Amino acid sequence: MTPPDAAACPVVALVSSGRHPVSGRPGRAREDARAVEMGLTLAGARLQLVHAGNAEEPVLRDYLGMYHGLDDAAAQGELALLPMTPADDAVLLLATWLAESGCRLVLAGQRAECGEGSGLLPYLLAERLGWTIVSGAATIERIDADRVTLLQVLPQGQRRRLEVSLPCLITVDTLAPPPRQSAFGPARRGRIQVVDGLTAEEDSASGEWRWQPARARPKRLKIVKSGNARDRFRAAAARSSAGGQVLTDLTPEQAADRLIAYLREEKILSEEKILGDEMP
Amino acid sequence: MLQTLLPILIFAALIVGAIGAARRIRLWRQGQRTPVGWARILHMPKRYLNDLHHIVARDKAMAHTHVATAGGFVAAMALAIVVHGFGWRNPILGGLLLAASAVMFVGALAVNRRRIHPRARPFPEKLSKGPWQRLSRSLLAYSVGMFLVSLPLVGIGPVAFGGGVLAIVLLTLVAWGVLELVVGMGWGGPMKHAFAGSLHLAFHRRPERFDDRQAHAGSTNTHDAHRGSRSTALFPLDLTAPKLGVEKPADFQWNQLLGFDACVQCGRCQAVCPAFAAGQPLNPKKLIQDMVVGMAGGSDTGYAGAGYPGIEIGKHQGAPEQAIVPQLVEAETLWACTTCRACVEECPMLIEHVDAIVDMRRFLTLEKGETPEKGAVAIDNLIATDNPGGLDNASRLDWAADLELPRIQTRPEGVDVLLWLGDGAFDMRNQRTLRALVQILRAGGVDFAVLGDEERDSGDVARRLGDEATFQRLAERNIITLSRYRFQRIVTVDPHSFHVLGREYPDFGGKYRVLHHSTFIAELFDAGRLTIRPAERKETVTYHDPCYLGRYNGEFAAPRRILEALGIEIAEMERSGFRSRCCGGGGGAALSDVPADLPGRARIPDMRMEDARATGATTVAVACPQCTAMLEGVVEPRPQIKDLAELVADALVTPASAEPEASVAVSSPSREEEPA
Amino acid sequence: MNVRRIDPYAERIRRNRLHPRHQEFARPAWRWAGPNGVTRIDPHAIGALGPNGIRRIDRSGAVVETQPLASSPIESGPSRRMVVIDDPAGFVMVVPECPEGRLSDHDRDLFGLARQLADGQTLAVTAVTFQGAVAGLEEAGADRWIDLSATVDGDTHDPESRLAALVSVEAAMSPRHWLFADSFPGGGDLGRRLAARLSRSSSHGANARAATRVWQVAEGLALSRAGDRQDIQRELPRILLALPECAKPVSETRHEARLVSIDAAGSKTSDMTAVGVVDLGRVAVDPQQIPLSQAPFILSGGRGVGDWAGFHHAAEVLGASEGASRVAVDDGNMPRARQVGATGTFVFASCYIAVGISGAVQHLQGIAKCQRVVAINRDPGCDMVKRADLALIADGDAVLAAVCERLGQPRAAEPSEAVSEAGSGALSKEERYHDAA
Repeated sequence: MTPPDAAACPVVALVSSGRHPVSGRPGRAREDARAVEMGLTLAGARLQLVHAGNAEEPVLRDYLGMYHGLDDAAAQGELALLPMTPADDAVLLLATWLAESGCRLVLAGQRAECGEGSGLLPYLLAERLGWTIVSGAATIERIDADRVTLLQVLPQGQRRRLEVSLPCLITVDTLAPPPRQSAFGPARRGRIQVVDGLTAEEDSASGEWRWQPARARPKRLKIVKSGNARDRFRAAAARSSAGGQVLTDLTPEQAADRLIAYLREEKILSEEKILGDEMP
Repeated sequence: MLQTLLPILIFAALIVGAIGAARRIRLWRQGQRTPVGWARILHMPKRYLNDLHHIVARDKAMAHTHVATAGGFVAAMALAIVVHGFGWRNPILGGLLLAASAVMFVGALAVNRRRIHPRARPFPEKLSKGPWQRLSRSLLAYSVGMFLVSLPLVGIGPVAFGGGVLAIVLLTLVAWGVLELVVGMGWGGPMKHAFAGSLHLAFHRRPERFDDRQAHAGSTNTHDAHRGSRSTALFPLDLTAPKLGVEKPADFQWNQLLGFDACVQCGRCQAVCPAFAAGQPLNPKKLIQDMVVGMAGGSDTGYAGAGYPGIEIGKHQGAPEQAIVPQLVEAETLWACTTCRACVEECPMLIEHVDAIVDMRRFLTLEKGETPEKGAVAIDNLIATDNPGGLDNASRLDWAADLELPRIQTRPEGVDVLLWLGDGAFDMRNQRTLRALVQILRAGGVDFAVLGDEERDSGDVARRLGDEATFQRLAERNIITLSRYRFQRIVTVDPHSFHVLGREYPDFGGKYRVLHHSTFIAELFDAGRLTIRPAERKETVTYHDPCYLGRYNGEFAAPRRILEALGIEIAEMERSGFRSRCCGGGGGAALSDVPADLPGRARIPDMRMEDARATGATTVAVACPQCTAMLEGVVEPRPQIKDLAELVADALVTPASAEPEASVAVSSPSREEEPA
Repeated sequence: MNVRRIDPYAERIRRNRLHPRHQEFARPAWRWAGPNGVTRIDPHAIGALGPNGIRRIDRSGAVVETQPLASSPIESGPSRRMVVIDDPAGFVMVVPECPEGRLSDHDRDLFGLARQLADGQTLAVTAVTFQGAVAGLEEAGADRWIDLSATVDGDTHDPESRLAALVSVEAAMSPRHWLFADSFPGGGDLGRRLAARLSRSSSHGANARAATRVWQVAEGLALSRAGDRQDIQRELPRILLALPECAKPVSETRHEARLVSIDAAGSKTSDMTAVGVVDLGRVAVDPQQIPLSQAPFILSGGRGVGDWAGFHHAAEVLGASEGASRVAVDDGNMPRARQVGATGTFVFASCYIAVGISGAVQHLQGIAKCQRVVAINRDPGCDMVKRADLALIADGDAVLAAVCERLGQPRAAEPSEAVSEAGSGALSKEERYHDAA
């Protein structure tokens, strides 16, 4: 095995086979594709892809098809393939390969779309390599010699800026910029290098598991619990917004005051935010 | 003096012109090699006089002008070589030469009359100025000069012609004319269209388009009739080639380059292009000229016609070995095309604009991954779910849950008609059309079945967007599916599926008899298998010809026959039949993200609806799910949009017996029972 | 078409079982015991005819709609049974998310799952929080409570020191199970970190691997969702990362949530040396860039809005994402992507202000999960007013203009000024907000 030169391979993206949500057909995994997109914007054609699994997986070409629109027009994608069976443990293989590759930044999706799909792999890898790990990246803003500044996705469309020390492993959220199209030409030209000399070990933890087709989760019914029938009836018959407050005969100014007061009360409008907005 | 100078002038012009021609040929040879037989050059005169002439003759005045000018020039030039060049001063030949020059003069006057109009009417927008204005004067100069120079041959005119200012003036006139008409032909002046055009006719990439390739050649004499076959299938792309699609001008086939050079800039394509009319950044004429610029190298500053709306002329330049997009042509221009083929149909030089556009799109999609966003989503969906909407393919028959459509899987013995639903099966509007068609098929006692969820998209959108890989995958899978079942023919409501299944699958080994539902219903009428209640009230109906049914496949008659059978008189739109204007939904243009709401732009369906309104129609009959969707998207109030199948189903008299099987036998007697 | 008419007289007789003609009018029973004791159901007799003559059958099990947050305190306080576990056989640790310092529904489900694991084995459910004052742990079902707010700063994102604190808890208590909420970047992240750390230090054999996306625990087996439409059933592992609605929240008992102190000081100092992740704080996001389905605060306009420029301005002043009713979109006042409702986007905002929206059924379905709804409408009788937590009966345009004025940013009256301001606004907006798309 020949580990890529550290200077030539600063960024690595882990890719896996995805499953289309409607048809279940193999394709690029949504998060992995975003990780590759992020890697391509960061490192251009120097982004190296890695996959541990079936060497005949056709989907891998779809990732290689993303190597276009880069500074180096003739660039080809390169993917290192670590062969193993689905029953093997990918952590060990990837950790060995990454340790020897000399890369310092690894991008991956948060969770695989097939197999166990637990999202544990990046954490186990980081733990084994002793690297920092950050989940749910939306954008990488800057890379210095030893630190990465990125934005992390928070619920409700919010973002948080984090500074992470290298070497690190960053998992990418579905809200990261959408991946570029996978083009047929570059996909055909990209190189898949099968890495020999690594022996995969069977994943001991998953031995006893029982796999079954996913069942639809039962919908939770709103259950009114109460000691007596009268209360249950009242709870069931009551209007949902019993506490709704209706204010009539207001001038627009009064209404505005009430609205602002309500929003402040519920901490949706804060004083400082308004002040902040007033700043030029 | 004249007798010594004229031969020198003529032979020098011929030699210089020939050198120019050789250089021009070198330019074409930059293209990819396609083997063609040299014997094909023999086809040229007939193709010129027959195919080309009839297209030109759609504009009568222009045809006469061209016959006079071109015929006069060819004759005058040939005679001048004999008379003045070789000095065979025969009075009869001289008389012929005078006559030819006179005819040419008349033609040249007509050319000038069309082009030089200070106030009476504006200069026609479709024409180019610049060298083309000069050409009209050059024609005059040559004809006048040659006429006067040849007068002494028949004994008229000053005998002492040998000297003086007059001789120099005449010589200058002739020299001007010869320079433009002979030297310019080889060196890339406006007259190169004659040289390149005649070779283009001989070595055309789609020889099937010409009359001489048809068994029934020369059967019709009207100019509007389509000669030759409708060779409209896109050329398959070899997916193992080192480069997919056309990146640089040199990536075109050599005879495509030759075709571009044949352009006369008559602007007929521009006049019929729906995207140009809508103010979108496409002009077929400019595109072909840009290809010429790319082939010869240089910038588009010399172009003197209308440009791409919204894109300035003179900012782009090209070279044979330089990428076309975006240095020479903006990607937007390529994506604005609806592949409606109106330009190809109208081009007197039979240039293939759509092939060129799709070739360049193929490179953008397959090599650069730069399909417009919505188009890329559609392609991804096609790859993952076999339909462009990304819907579960198993739900393809959900709309027909109550119709109990027979599945072909349960009919191993085979059926007569395989009903190809197309992707309209996912669209609620089109489901109404499909229901109407099923009703008609049942009323007509047709033995039909559907593929159900085994049907996939035909690949039309993917192919027009340039994704040949996805198209070929879909085509191969569909062909494998179809090979498992037995049926006589395929009927579909979607002209795009109709075109792709019928015309483009044969290249991949799928040969089927495919009928559009309009053809099939017309057949049912002809066979007397449908009983119709005549329309109660007269309403004005107009019919919109879908591009992929009409121009692509030549089916103009069947829809009109159906409407006639329904007792409807069609109020034809100004642009109908082979000149029908596109609805704007074809060729992936609806997925192209070229914004329609910029100032100065219109939506193509809105323009088409204006055409329909002008007829006073209250109903627009359509025959394509895409057209239905586009035209129904026009803001109300507007005429209602009804598919032919819906119109027929509305007028259908259902036989009293409920069983559809019985209707075959009953249909003709019941016709008599029904009160008229 | 026949119009179905209701005879109020007949209805009254039908309701009154003592009426002499009741038998004549009564509807046939839809369910009865057959001669062999088998229950018979007449499907035609179920349900009631709706106003359009279409039969409606309600099998939802209840009529109660979602309750707005403001009016949904747990009312059955006094009726809960107190449960005290003095001498537990072990611990089940629950690390709740506590967004904004409050227990979320997901957290309560987590405690419900913990109780399911603990009950019967007299294990103590122990809440581990990084924020000091978390209310409602008693009702949620925590027997013990470890408050790590002294060790870890609960307000900043510092997964490494949190992990260190959890590791020290692990060392001190060696609990049977750890429960996290499987959501990024909160419990899903922290739980996986702990799982990765523990996977190295100890070997637990078959149940060493954490179970993620657990959605059901039954008979000692955890059912977790895997990729490719598969579920994995396995023995209960030590660490479980559970999805929302993994179990029913505790509703009948009350627990003591006794504070337990852990000496986690050592871990704090040891990890100060190498900080991998530094929280630089929240980034202001342009509300218009947030996908509507995620927006926390939406100002939505309908037919009652006349002054759309004023509406946009108000949205900017309030810092709200813009939404619209179907009518507003159809009229071309708002883009299709901004349409709220069952035919547009389902929204989950914590505050939804509906201006001039009467509240079509589809729209109300679309906002069913919003926590607070404010309606500004001139019609006090419309459905939106009935749904709202606060309804202001007034002209929407005028109220929004007054709001902007009250907040010190009235809209420029003159068009030229408005244009220039819009220009500068757009510019400053670019500077101020990070592109969230």
